[in-house]
Amino acid sequence: MNTFKKLGAILLGFCVMLGAGTLPAKADALQDITSRGTIKVGMLVDFPPYGLMNPQNQPDGYDADVAKLLAQDLNLKLQLVPVTGPNRIPYLLSGQVDVLVASLGITPERARSVDFSEPYAAISIGVYGTDDEKVARPEDLAGKTIAVARASTQDTAVTKVAPPTATIRRFDSDAAALQALMSGQVPLIGCSNVCYVTIQKLAPGKYNKKFELSSQVQGIAVKPGEQKLLARVNQFIDKIKADGELDKINQKWLGEPMPSILKKK
Amino acid sequence: MIRQFGWNEFELLLFAARWTIVLALIAFVGGGIGGLIVALLRTADNRTARAAMVVFIRVFQGTPLLMQLFLAYFGMAIFGFSVNPLIAAMIALTAHASAYLGEIWRGCIQAVPRGQTEAATTLGLHYFARMRYVVLPQAARIAVPPTVGFLVQLLKETSLASIIGFVELTRQGQIITSVTFRPFLVYGLVAALYFAMCWPLSLGARRMERGLARGTQR
Repeated sequence: MNTFKKLGAILLGFCVMLGAGTLPAKADALQDITSRGTIKVGMLVDFPPYGLMNPQNQPDGYDADVAKLLAQDLNLKLQLVPVTGPNRIPYLLSGQVDVLVASLGITPERARSVDFSEPYAAISIGVYGTDDEKVARPEDLAGKTIAVARASTQDTAVTKVAPPTATIRRFDSDAAALQALMSGQVPLIGCSNVCYVTIQKLAPGKYNKKFELSSQVQGIAVKPGEQKLLARVNQFIDKIKADGELDKINQKWLGEPMPSILKKK
Repeated sequence: MIRQFGWNEFELLLFAARWTIVLALIAFVGGGIGGLIVALLRTADNRTARAAMVVFIRVFQGTPLLMQLFLAYFGMAIFGFSVNPLIAAMIALTAHASAYLGEIWRGCIQAVPRGQTEAATTLGLHYFARMRYVVLPQAARIAVPPTVGFLVQLLKETSLASIIGFVELTRQGQIITSVTFRPFLVYGLVAALYFAMCWPLSLGARRMERGLARGTQR
């Protein structure tokens, strides 16, 4: 596990380097995409309900629906490219995808390597755990073990607030972190409210919320410097917020109306 | 959001195993050809060729396959070569397997007593004839167990190709786990499928070893 963590760190470092190296964008991405006629959208497929593989083995979920609307709005064909948490930014920066609709939480660190649109989704992330764990503040994590999904927003958040004596176990996905919690290997988990809904379904009443890490909004990411593409994406997001399409997607996948944090100003 | 694990999910795993097989075949074939070239150059009389192969082997044995795949795919895209993931995997897996097999086979070639080469030379055999009819057949016999050991390991290492977007067996297992929340069942099946692919390799190796040994029994 340790070498894997190191590798992850190296990869992430590499991504940041790539980000710095590719800052001056050469061409106009929007024009390239339009002349190609197809937009390549990177999305997660292991982050339900935002990104998942449906029984027909096609990418589906909240992100997929947003991506479909985006392609429709731009009048382009859509090519969904499945990416993973750790490799999604390299996919974007190396030009293998045009935009990421990959539940990418907007953080200052990431904003250094990619450009974010207006938020199109929101999740609150927090620390959850078994009822008998007495944790109410980040300091209480001292000496405890907590599971997170590697390279996720909760990973960054937990890493920042946890005292040095806390052990952070990083797993490849939320499902793996959740499994560690369920099987009792770890007493605590850093995850989203959406993930907690699943926990409640699997083991009702056994786990509760300890404290909130942050309320996270997600944006569509484009390569840095692609102002025209970004402006076009923002125009699209404003449109689906205004005409109720985004609200429909929220209802469909999360069973809730669009969170108020997404509403404009 | 939880989905039951059913026959459909099992089929998806089986389909994903096809990618594992394709990637493994690419690595076996590419590595076999590349490895032979590396091994021959590594044991050649030409000093520059030997030195070049030492560098090649050190670089590819000393860096993780994960990084090689990553660089072959994303690295080349940065420099403007948009490579297809299959090509990137082909390059990285071939280079990786060539370095390992080259070094394994180098040892096997050198394990053939020097007298054999000398005797063949006195008989007037040239380099290619010497290698083809005298040295390599003897080296092959020693080479079977370590080669198969490496190939079995390589087959399992193809799961690393998920970093460049291949949905092979392990990655499909992860994706299915994320919607079914049945990791024990899913990963158990994944392990069983890997076993079903690796075991025939080991069995075949044993037969091959016996066959080769029969030819040279004293």
